[in-house]
Formats: sequence, structure tokens, C-alpha cells
Amino acid sequence: MLELRSLSRHFGGVRAVDGLDLTVQEGQIFGLIGPNGSGKSTTVNVITGLFAPTAGSILFRGQDLAALPTHRRLRAGIARTFQNIRLFGQLSVWQNLWVAQNSAEDQARQGFFTRWLGGQRGVRDEIGPLLEFSGLAHKRDELAANLAFGEQRRLELARALAAKPRLLLLDEPAAGMNSEEIGQLRDRILKLRERGVTILLVEHVMELVMGVTDRIAVLNFGQKIAEGTPAEIQAHPAVRKAYLGGEKA
Amino acid sequence: MLDFLQSLSDGLLFGSTYALIGIGFTLVFGVMHKINMAYAAASIGGAYSGLLVLKVMAAAPPALVFFGAFLGGGVAGALVYVTCFHFIPLRSPLATLMSTVGMLLLIDEIVVHVTNGMPQNYPAMFDDVMLRAGEFTLRGDLLLVFGVAVLCMAALMLLLYRTRLGLATRAVSQQPVAARLCGIRLERVNATTFIITGLLGGIAGALIGASVGTLSPLLTTPLTVKGLIVTVIGGLGSIPGAIVAGLLVGGFENVLQMYRGVTERDLYVMLLLFVFLTFRPGGIFAPRGGRD
Amino acid sequence: MDFYFGLAQIIGVHTLLGLSAYILLLTGQVSLAQAGFYAIGAYVAGMLTVLGGWHLVPALGASAVCGAAVACAVGFPALRVKGLMLVIATLAFGEGVRLFFFNFDYQIAKGDLKVGPLGGEGFRQIRFFPENGWSTFEVMLFIWVFVAGAMALLWWFDRSRYGTVLRAVGEDELAAQSVGINLTAVKVSAMTVGGAIAGVGGGLYAHYTTHIEHSSFNILVATFAIAYPIVGGLRSVFGTLLAVIFVQGFLIEGLRFLGDWRNLLFGALIVLAMNLRPSGFLGTGRRA
Repeated sequence: MLELRSLSRHFGGVRAVDGLDLTVQEGQIFGLIGPNGSGKSTTVNVITGLFAPTAGSILFRGQDLAALPTHRRLRAGIARTFQNIRLFGQLSVWQNLWVAQNSAEDQARQGFFTRWLGGQRGVRDEIGPLLEFSGLAHKRDELAANLAFGEQRRLELARALAAKPRLLLLDEPAAGMNSEEIGQLRDRILKLRERGVTILLVEHVMELVMGVTDRIAVLNFGQKIAEGTPAEIQAHPAVRKAYLGGEKA
Repeated sequence: MLDFLQSLSDGLLFGSTYALIGIGFTLVFGVMHKINMAYAAASIGGAYSGLLVLKVMAAAPPALVFFGAFLGGGVAGALVYVTCFHFIPLRSPLATLMSTVGMLLLIDEIVVHVTNGMPQNYPAMFDDVMLRAGEFTLRGDLLLVFGVAVLCMAALMLLLYRTRLGLATRAVSQQPVAARLCGIRLERVNATTFIITGLLGGIAGALIGASVGTLSPLLTTPLTVKGLIVTVIGGLGSIPGAIVAGLLVGGFENVLQMYRGVTERDLYVMLLLFVFLTFRPGGIFAPRGGRD
Repeated sequence: MDFYFGLAQIIGVHTLLGLSAYILLLTGQVSLAQAGFYAIGAYVAGMLTVLGGWHLVPALGASAVCGAAVACAVGFPALRVKGLMLVIATLAFGEGVRLFFFNFDYQIAKGDLKVGPLGGEGFRQIRFFPENGWSTFEVMLFIWVFVAGAMALLWWFDRSRYGTVLRAVGEDELAAQSVGINLTAVKVSAMTVGGAIAGVGGGLYAHYTTHIEHSSFNILVATFAIAYPIVGGLRSVFGTLLAVIFVQGFLIEGLRFLGDWRNLLFGALIVLAMNLRPSGFLGTGRRA
């Protein structure tokens, strides 16, 4: 589904991502972990097209993404959430989802005129289930800026889903969550996999990563230092060293 | 060919005033990420206040008038800061923009009222001096304009790169939050930036008045537009860019005036802007500090 | 009574000007070019009725199309740059249009008179309304039909996905891109619609004043255009209307007794208003 080949992104002298090789299979939940500054968020930004790669290539379902601008990548099936939530604060929950309905499927389903100038009625069937899934149905008309933190995170996820993605990039979705919320997030991610969404999860919170991923890659200073199943990674000495500086866990 | 060179050199010399105006716009943008639309108006206002010196002392030497403009510009700069930037929260960019436009209109109107709409003569220095090299002349007054402008730019660079205030200003332009955390008083840096650019602007206004011979409030709008064009072409936030662009616009405009006349001249300057926007929107020099 | 009709005409035309800036402002773009599209609409409509003998309604249609076309052309290069650069580019454009008309001569002989735009002198004798026996009241109604139409159009946009997308772009461009919104297309489309509305406004302006010249389309007019939606707030089109009524009705007319000092007051009042209420009369409905 997603293949990164020798992907590099430099900012002047800083090698944020350096020669990264990664393959995510369809239907997988793939974890990307590493200490702060290891290049995880930059990788996500390059995949979605916010930064152009300095070297290397990105293949999505066999297609090289180099020529596609960010909004086209969304239509091709890649959606993301943001580490520091970027909701449209002055729009309501419903409206946040409405503006995100830009998948190729949605474009084909409704005519241009209806899609842009039609009212809300036509999309109730589409957006309703999303609200249910994220537990936000009761806050439909609330301004996004007024939601509680946990609700905002759920809306961030729902908005990414509104685009009916094949590949979902989650950028530290569990930051600031308590155990109960993490459990709910875990369940939601697993349900998404059941629906056929491939997930790349960038995360620090080990409780979530170890519990939900099929495979994990570890970054340090922009380079991949390990890859394997959660169990393999937990026992890996290089990973321990990167995170803990060589001490025994 | 000679005509071309003559036009070009006269234009380059005059362009140093555009460079000063451009520096004023670009410095405020670099430090506060805002455009002070009232800047050119404040500069002209400062130049007018230089004329007050003549009211007090009828035979005052031009240098004193220029000094009056210098101070007047500084006062105008402080005034614009207080009315447009001190109270309005900085996260309301539309509000600050509109209020600077309001000040632009206000200053313009005050000048018109005080002078009853009549253009005022402005003293020049060395206007009877001509340096010749064969057919080619260098006007003494234009040389002075250029010289004073260069001095001002040098003084500004010294200030920015050799003083604590300059260091603080550069820090704020790169990372305002971190600068505050280091104990730099944001309001003080902002206010000082306005006063310094105001002083520069007053001199620029005086120099323009001196080289043209008269001052009129009609100068304000074209100067605002040209100043902003210089800022954009040079790169928003870049002082060397503003300097180069100012000279470029001055030379370009004068050469075009020779070939196409005064009325069409300004249209070509706008076209120059659009050419840059299309092909090199970052300007000649990319802005410093990775703020956005 | 005629006086109030005349005032209503002014308010109507200025509302169109304000609405043309409103739609762009929703996307977070501050444009000082609206006076330029307004000018183009004015000269196009004037020339078509005076020189071409057209009826006013198709002439206004042409104004809308010309305004839209120029706005679209200007939009592409200008909107690719960041917000503040747009202010400068549109300011330069507006001034360029004004200078263009300052230099523009196109006269033909009608009987023993010469009619048409004459550079700095302006364009006189745009007499469609008087020649066809329209009363002040009828002109006012005619203008307001278009104002109502424009307001209805924008109100409809506001309730549709298009309007929501405009506001999303104004709120956070990065997030908007990431959910699949084509920023350039959205911004240029808003600019085009704004250009059309301003063009119609200009065409109407030319005909009720019967005499236009380059100085009628200066930086002050460009400022009014964006001042209305900023002062009125971006929550709804009615804010802009209120702002126009306030500025034109209350300030300009009400303070007429101040004579010359009135002009001084504009600038001061804008500064005061922005200090006291940075988010406008009706509030923003979005982050200022």
C-alpha cells in the first residue's frame, strides 16, 4: 500500500529524515516510534506532501506521489490527523466533517453543483454515521473550539475519516489521553482496520503502540534503527539504547 | 546611450529614498509580521514638520530643516505605534491593518488641512552644484540625497548588529515568544522599531522633498505603493533586499520616464511588481528567520 | 424625499462594493483591488450605454463578466503569495487601474458633441437614466434589486458547502489542504465572484452619478470596500450592510455639518473603531 524508498528530507544541515526505507502492507496497522526529534512527524508531512522530499520516493498503491499536491493526495486516499490538533475552530462539528468530504468517491457520487451549492440534507447519510462512530452526535452543532480536549481529538480523527481514506496517518493521537481514553482509541483503531483502512500510527504512548500494531519501525535521528513485531521491538537492544540510553529496562 | 545612462544614474541616486522607505516597511514586517500602511504618509508628514523649523526661523539652513523632519518622523512613528499597535491585540491582524489605513487617511487629511492643499517648497542643498564628466552630469543635490541615505542605512546596520537593542530586535523578529521568555520587553522593541523607522522615514521624506523641490500630499499614495513594491521585490523582511530593490525601482522608473513619459511610468512599476510576484514571489533575497 | 432616495442609492452601491470584499475576506484574503474591479465595471457599462447604445441591463451583465474576468486573471498570480503580499499586490493593481483610466481616451462624436472617456477629465454624460425618464425612486429600486440579489447569493453560499469551505480556508490553510481542499481554486473563485459583484456595483455607480473619473476610484474607495466587511464583521452579509448604513448614512450624512473636517474624521474613526472593537460590529464568526 505504502512504500518509502530511501526517503530523505533535509532542512539545511538538519537531516530530519535520512534514507528511510519502509513498506506498509494493505490492512496493516503499522507503528512508527522513536525519541523526540527522530523524524516521525516530518515523515508524515512528507508523505502528505507538505514538504517535498530532498531525495527518495514515495509510492502509494504503486503510484509515485511526487507530482501530486497535498489536496490531491487526499483524493488519492491518504488522510492524516495532526499532532497539535488543527480543527476549524469557528466551524461546528458537523461543518468540520462536511468540508472534509473530498474523497474521489464523494466527488463521483454527487454532481458538482449539488456538492458545492447544495445544502446539508444531501450528506446527512454520510456524516451521521461518522458522528456516531466518534461519539460526537450529541455535539453536532457545537463549535469545534468549544469542545473538550478528548472530543477535539475524536473530531480530528472523524474529520480524517470523512475523506474515506485507504491509508490513515495518525500523528500522536494519544497525546494527553488517560488510560480509559486510550482504550477507546485502541478499539476505534481496530474497528477501522475491520473496515479495511490501513493505518500508519506515529506515537509515543507505548501502551497504545504495543497493544494495537502489527509491525513497528523505530526511528532515531532520521534513520530506521529497527523494525519488527511489537515483541521483537520491545526486546531490541538498539531501541532500548535510543530511548533509555543503554540502561536496562 | 548617454541619455539612458544619465537617466539611470539619476534614478539610482533618487532610488536611495525608495530604499529608505522600503527599509521602513520591511523592518516593521520583519519584527512584527505586520504592514504599517501609514508609513509613507508618516514620512511625508515628518518632512512637512521639518518645514515648521522655517516658520520659527525664516532663514534656517536646510540641514536644520532636515533635522526637523528627522525628529518629526520619529514622533509620527511613535504616534502610529500607539494608535495602531499598542492597544490592538496582535492576533487581530485585520484590525491593525485597518487602523494603519485609517492613520494613512488621517495624516493625509491633516497635511491637506494645515497647508490648505497648496504644495510647499522644500529647501535643497547643493542644488546648484553639478559634477560633470563630459556630457554626463551628476547633480549635487542628488548626490547628497544618496549620501545621506547611505549614511542612514549604515547607521541602521550598526544599530541592528552592534547594539543590544539591535540584538533584541533581531531576536524578536525571529522568535517573539522565546525572546519574551529571555526577558526582552516586546512592547519596548516594537515601539522602538517604529520610532527608528519613523526617524528614517522623516529623513526619506525630507530627501524626496529636497530632490523634487516641492512637497505635496499627493505624494503619499504613490510613495506608499512604490514603497510596498520595493519591499515585496526585495523580499519581505530583508533589509539588503529593500536597499537593492529601492535602487532598482528608482533606476527603472526614471529610465522608463525618459522613454514613455511621466503618466505611464508608474504603470510600468506596477507591472514590474507583477512580474516579480509571478516569477519570484519571495523577492530578491529570501526573508531571514524561518518564522513561517 | 429625493435626498433620501439618493442616499439609498449610495448605500446600495457601496454595499455591493463591500460584499465584493466580504467574500474574499471569508477566505482570509484582504484585497485592496475591489475598487479596481468597480472602476472597470463603471467604465465598461458607461461605454456600452453611451457609445454603444446598449440597454443598461445587458451593459451591467458585461460589467459583471469583465469584473470577473479581470479578477480571475489577477487572482492567479496574486493569490499564490501569502496574505500580506496580497494586500500589496492588490493595492498596486488598484492604483494601476486608476492610472490606466487616467490615461484612457476613447471618444466618438454624437451629433455635435463628443462623448466618451477623456483621460484625466473623466467620462461625462452617462445619461441612460435621465434619457429614459427614470425617477430617483425608480433608480433606487433598480439598484436595490441588484443589492438584494447579491446578498441573497452570498447568503446562499454561506449556507452551502462552498461557504463553509471558504471559511475553512480562512481559518487554517494547512488543515484545509490536508483535508483535500484545493486552496488556489477556492481563493481564485472567491476573487472572481467578488470581481463580478464589484463590476455590477461600478456599472450602477457610473449611471446614477452620470460622471466618473479616475479619482473616483482611489485608495479611499478601496479602503471603504474592505472597511465595510471588517467593521461589520464576517458572521453574515448583514454586517456589511449595517456597516455601510452606519458609515454612509450616519457618518457621512450625519456629520455633514462638519464640512471639511469630515474627511479628517474618517481616518480617526477607523482607528478608533479598530481599537475599541477589533472584531467588528457583529463579530467575526471566525478568528479575527
